[in-house]
Amino acid sequence: MTWESFIYFAIVAVVLWATGAWAAWKDKKTIAYGTTIAGLLVFFGYIVAMWVSLERPPLRTMGETRLWYSLFLPLAGIIVYSRWRYKWILSFSTLMALVFIAINIFKPEIHSKTLMPALQSPWFAPHVIVYMMAYALLGASALMAIYLLFFKKKEPTEQEYEITDNLVYAGLAFLTIGMLFGALWAKEAWGHYWSWDPKETWAAITWLAYLVYVHYRLMPRHRKPIALATLIVAFVLLQVCWWGINYLPSAQGSSVHTYGTESTQ
Amino acid sequence: MSKSFSLFDGFMIGGGIIVAGLLLQFTSGGVVWDALAWPANAIVLAVFIAIIIAIYLLGRKFDALRFLGTYKAAIPAMIYAVILTIIMGLTKQTVDGTWLNNMLAFWPLVLIYMYIAVILGIITIKHTIKFRWKRDIPFLLNHLGLFIALVAATLGNADMQRMKMITAVDQPEWRVMTNNNDIQELNIAIELKKFIMETYDDGSPKRFASKINIYTKSGKSFTATVDVNKPAEVDGWKIYQYGYDTQMGAMSNISILELVRDPWLPVVYTGIFMMIAGAVTLFFIGAGRRKKS
Repeated sequence: MTWESFIYFAIVAVVLWATGAWAAWKDKKTIAYGTTIAGLLVFFGYIVAMWVSLERPPLRTMGETRLWYSLFLPLAGIIVYSRWRYKWILSFSTLMALVFIAINIFKPEIHSKTLMPALQSPWFAPHVIVYMMAYALLGASALMAIYLLFFKKKEPTEQEYEITDNLVYAGLAFLTIGMLFGALWAKEAWGHYWSWDPKETWAAITWLAYLVYVHYRLMPRHRKPIALATLIVAFVLLQVCWWGINYLPSAQGSSVHTYGTESTQ
Repeated sequence: MSKSFSLFDGFMIGGGIIVAGLLLQFTSGGVVWDALAWPANAIVLAVFIAIIIAIYLLGRKFDALRFLGTYKAAIPAMIYAVILTIIMGLTKQTVDGTWLNNMLAFWPLVLIYMYIAVILGIITIKHTIKFRWKRDIPFLLNHLGLFIALVAATLGNADMQRMKMITAVDQPEWRVMTNNNDIQELNIAIELKKFIMETYDDGSPKRFASKINIYTKSGKSFTATVDVNKPAEVDGWKIYQYGYDTQMGAMSNISILELVRDPWLPVVYTGIFMMIAGAVTLFFIGAGRRKKS
């Protein structure tokens, strides 16, 4: 399997997801589940095939991590849909997955087959996959916040706040586990579980920012729009942690998380 | 409770701590972490916990102290921590830097994280005393776990030893170099049998490893292979592949190993594993439960 065949798998998956999104609007639940899951299987099939042909997990480059992100967005979407029956969530998740697929088609950061010794570890796959899941869930929560703050004309309902909270709790759970898996891996790889490497510093910032949201929401008599705004700020900080760090002067040359010009994690 | 206090008061307290930190920084310079080596860190830990217990007990009498165990104190503390850590993330950090260029020794940042630890300690006591299984197991895993990891990692840091050992083929070596370039002798000797370097077809590195014999004064003697990501272990030391003679590449006759000893690691790991378990409960329980109760 190569990147040349990506577009075919992507088109099939997106068509299936879009069908699922349409079916959700029309309240045709069986079709919504069936097509969304079929799309996930097609897309996951491509990832597995890439894994096999690369002879390593496709997690090293930005392009490869975007693959997982495109997979996890509809996955998070269908989980939310199954729990709270939110009609539009599948449209949102499909659209977001499409954005990341489009980036991979038009700006593919092509990828060599090699995996450097520092990344050859049983921790590699769980660390990055768990983080990608966290990013997808927290991305969905940020979209909810933007929708409720700027686009919804009426007052948001309690149920909408509850969904946002649940996305954040699930995302924060993954974020915590991803960060701590990273710490356990760092001990095996670099001799210390936490070295305040720029990536680690920004991981701590992101984590704390989501803790602010969670605690603020639990505080009696808080202001809900402020809580939603916190989510947007937190997601911006998460972007710095994920890829923005590659452009930060303070992190140049000092981050052990940079693996060549195409970096990940 | 604490009706007279608001988030604003929380921000004032946090702001006061930062000002105090700036004064400390100005008058005494940055935090000297090395001074916390054993047994100083054990004493500091005991005093720290005693202070937390005292704050909790006095909180029954004084509103201002009880306030420290509330959201209105915790949220501003976290926001200050976010801001200070962002500054750390935006500035170049060096070991011999000062002020913002060495945030780990910057008093305001250190004090704010200490303040967070105090809050974590107070609410841990609170939830332990009024313990209810379903509510407090997840709560304690998250909060006490973070308290343990944070405090043990910080106080234990001075006891961590990291040394470089340059080994040459067939020559047992027991001398190591500390970070300050001092030479020390260890109770372990390492003899390099073979340095292994493999490359992919395009020449990029695939594997660095050292086949070594390890001998200890306690009488142990065994062979191990140290790979990147696969350290060897002996008598509390972890031995890492660190470097080699880059001029010689695969033909290198030397291998540089890093030896790390961290006596506080089991404590920190207890905290980390509690937090992982706590995160799992967070995922399964979600936000719903607390709202209902």
